[in-house]
Amino acid sequence: MNKGVWSKQKVIVVSAALLLAIIFPHIAPYIALASEILIFALFAMAFDLMLGYAGMLSFGHAAFFGLGAYTAGVILKDLYPSVPLALLGGVIVSSLAGFIIGFLSIRRRGIYFTMVTLAFAQMFYFIAFKWTGLTGGDDGLQRVPRPSLGPLDLKSQIVFYYFLLFSVIICAIILLRIVNSPFGKTLQAQRENRNRAMSIGYDVDKFKLRAFIISAFFSGLAGGFYALLLNFVPLNSLHWTNSGEVVVMTITGGMGTLFGPVLGAVCIILLRDIISNYTESWTFIMGMLFMAAVLGFRGGIIGILRNKLRLTI
Amino acid sequence: MNIQFVIMQLFNGLIMGSIYVLLSLGLTIIFGMLGIINFAHGAFYMFGAFVAYTIMAYLIPNFWVALIVGPIVMAIFGAACEAFILRRLYNLPPLYVMLFTFGLMLVLQDFIRMIYGAAGVPFRTPSSLDGSINLGFMFYPKYRIFLIIITSMCSLGVWLFLSKTKLGAIIRAGTDNSIMVDALGINISKIFTLVFGMGIGLAGLAGVLAAPLQNVSHLMGVDFLVDCFVVVVVGGMGSISGSIVGGLIVGEIIAFGVMVWPPMAHTLIYIFMAAFLLIRPRGLFGREAFHE
Repeated sequence: MNKGVWSKQKVIVVSAALLLAIIFPHIAPYIALASEILIFALFAMAFDLMLGYAGMLSFGHAAFFGLGAYTAGVILKDLYPSVPLALLGGVIVSSLAGFIIGFLSIRRRGIYFTMVTLAFAQMFYFIAFKWTGLTGGDDGLQRVPRPSLGPLDLKSQIVFYYFLLFSVIICAIILLRIVNSPFGKTLQAQRENRNRAMSIGYDVDKFKLRAFIISAFFSGLAGGFYALLLNFVPLNSLHWTNSGEVVVMTITGGMGTLFGPVLGAVCIILLRDIISNYTESWTFIMGMLFMAAVLGFRGGIIGILRNKLRLTI
Repeated sequence: MNIQFVIMQLFNGLIMGSIYVLLSLGLTIIFGMLGIINFAHGAFYMFGAFVAYTIMAYLIPNFWVALIVGPIVMAIFGAACEAFILRRLYNLPPLYVMLFTFGLMLVLQDFIRMIYGAAGVPFRTPSSLDGSINLGFMFYPKYRIFLIIITSMCSLGVWLFLSKTKLGAIIRAGTDNSIMVDALGINISKIFTLVFGMGIGLAGLAGVLAAPLQNVSHLMGVDFLVDCFVVVVVGGMGSISGSIVGGLIVGEIIAFGVMVWPPMAHTLIYIFMAAFLLIRPRGLFGREAFHE
């Protein structure tokens, strides 16, 4: 692959995606849904760094998302209503949690890692559930304000959408830089062959921990946006089924591509919205779809695009 | 704090622990054999409670019938799931199988919600086990005494079955190396079905037994499952004795946590797990690099 020069196809695909993202709030059922899709696209990309590139299946990413959301929410509500401060607080807390959980859980690999991350995330769920004075417990954190950001009146849904779009694109560029950097290549190398990467002299665990923290950072940012979007932080944002959903988005989209998880987030959130308009039992149908996806198409949406349309994205 | 309360909590911890043991046993043998986490395990536990409820409410209003039939129904259901669906997924990376069980969990839960509603159903203690027994130093509910007896008998039964019978030896061998067992001329896929059915049957049994103690709703298994993850991480994955000891430890930690500071009781087990990971990453009875 020639570096620096993008293939014609890639240019077309990327500009089409950008164009779609720009007009998306006008064609989506409602603007807040478009914003929610962007937030989960960011969350899924952050998760893909872990699963697709570093090869670690965490089932505890709801912790970072939820911590980001709760921290941002508490700052906005109780401390000082400033968007940058809230988001900064959110990413600091979730990165710190990422460091601690990561440090403990990368001692185990494979399925153990999955279970350990899940269990730690559940710890934060219980803390948020019981610490009602700070978090509102079962009712969630209510009445989170969404103040203006300089001249930007974020209270307007459409302005907020474009603010999100801008931020998510910046994050996507940073994440792309990360996965294509020597650091990203080392992550992939240790995913493919841990022993060989170690024998070359890489401190594999250190790389994994860094990937964990970066992933927690962006997950926390997505969480902070989520608190702003909803003006509310649901307790469920910390629940492990939320972690499950981001796993599903990443895999149905196509892991290890960064683009794929975005597609996964778009499809799953749109589908969920459409199905929930018709029936209360959308969870049932989503579960069926997940099972069908595992039985049917495992390359993910991006795999289908690649095979059928011969796209090289 | 008086001594009676402490002993009471000790017993309560034992009861919670024994429910953990029943669930974790299934989780751990399925893991050992198939190399996957069954995310639907908590949903099967919940399903067991609802099967028992349905039997009692619509067919035969007798707890004892439900206690026997419920787990058997669940075991058959589990074996069928393995034989008809999961089997097709074994040549895939474990990731996909886990994703499948995650989907299955959502489907089972929502199915129950569709039928019985989100509020849950009442599940009474069987009338013959109503009331308390005077243990000399304190009064303790009969049903809870019964629970301690039956779960310890079941754990002992499973342990004896796995460690003393020929079939148990095959299962233990399969947990170590299923390809080798297959090569020795034993039909391993039948064993897989059996193990999965047994694991789900135990989950169903735990569900029926726990039903009178808690709110029987479609969500009763979701968070309980994660506690069982703590149990197997502490006990060591794939280890039978690890599940038993780990389950009891986790149950007791929660019970004693309730005495010290109730809101943090549940958080305590995760802190314990974190500490345990630092000291002994492979768990109490786990082996190094098993299924990693």
